[in-house]
Amino acid sequence: MTEFTNALPLPRPRTLVHPGPVGPIRIEHRHANQGRHFRLGLEPGRTMQDAIIEPLRQRGVEAASMTILGGRLERLLYCVAPPDPTGERVANYTRPIEAGAATLIFGNATLGKNGRGEPIVHCHATFVCEDGNVRGGHIVVDRSRVAGVPIAVLATSLDGIELRITQDEETHMPLMRPFAATGAEEASHAL
Amino acid sequence: MPSDIRLVEAGRMGRVAYARVAPNEDLVLSIEKLCAAEGFRHAFVRGALGSLVDACFVAPGGGTRQVRGPAVEIVSLAGEVRPQGDGSLRAAITGIVADTEGHVHGGPFVAGANPVCVTFEVTLEEWLPAAA
Repeated sequence: MTEFTNALPLPRPRTLVHPGPVGPIRIEHRHANQGRHFRLGLEPGRTMQDAIIEPLRQRGVEAASMTILGGRLERLLYCVAPPDPTGERVANYTRPIEAGAATLIFGNATLGKNGRGEPIVHCHATFVCEDGNVRGGHIVVDRSRVAGVPIAVLATSLDGIELRITQDEETHMPLMRPFAATGAEEASHAL
Repeated sequence: MPSDIRLVEAGRMGRVAYARVAPNEDLVLSIEKLCAAEGFRHAFVRGALGSLVDACFVAPGGGTRQVRGPAVEIVSLAGEVRPQGDGSLRAAITGIVADTEGHVHGGPFVAGANPVCVTFEVTLEEWLPAAA
């Protein structure tokens, strides 16, 4: 007997066409055999970027995924990503928007390297703005500063994986991608 | 309550996988594909950020609610992957997104209806249940 499932129609998902050639690899992935975990307290007075990078650098962590718990920022700046009016990309970040002294609700961040091999943090989060509105977006971590109490972060190191920002031909955006870390056993996979 | 639902499952964490998902791949199905590719049978989402063309949530009452982009930013994600009785892998993913004005919306993501806009970075931690 053939089985059928009847359901309400979904909104039709949209497929966007990016300006560059479509890359053949749609899911680039790597794994570490075991994550090492660290609980950080982000130091008051420092930028989120410095408060994340420095303690991990001291422990030899160059790539990590992080869960950022709630806390206070003396200043928070964020970007959202509306359609790019120039047409150069499908969407692009706005100029930084001031949220004022804000309360982080929850966030996720990735520690990797920029094109020059320097550490960089990519962070998205939700927060309460100074005016009481709840907002979310891409956090400008080098200009957002921790207020008086350390903010707790759970960091999971990705040993053997190098995360590096490279210019993506398809989207024309600089994007974080996984590579084999120097000296790591070759374990690259792609879908 | 059905007798086959265990309320406590002992186990430990195994491998950690990181993926960069390209445009137009689905948020929920890409997490299942990543588990299939890495050989994870059970996993928890440990970190995720990126953007969607539009976001589609299960609405209260059983319908759906679409947040129009592009781009809708993924600002927090929680979820897990578990094998089903037929051998398939199923990701159950909930989260919060920010629209093009920074306003936030959330709920369970509808599988197949959340195409990635520019990129989706996801970290999964393998869950290894102890033998029952």
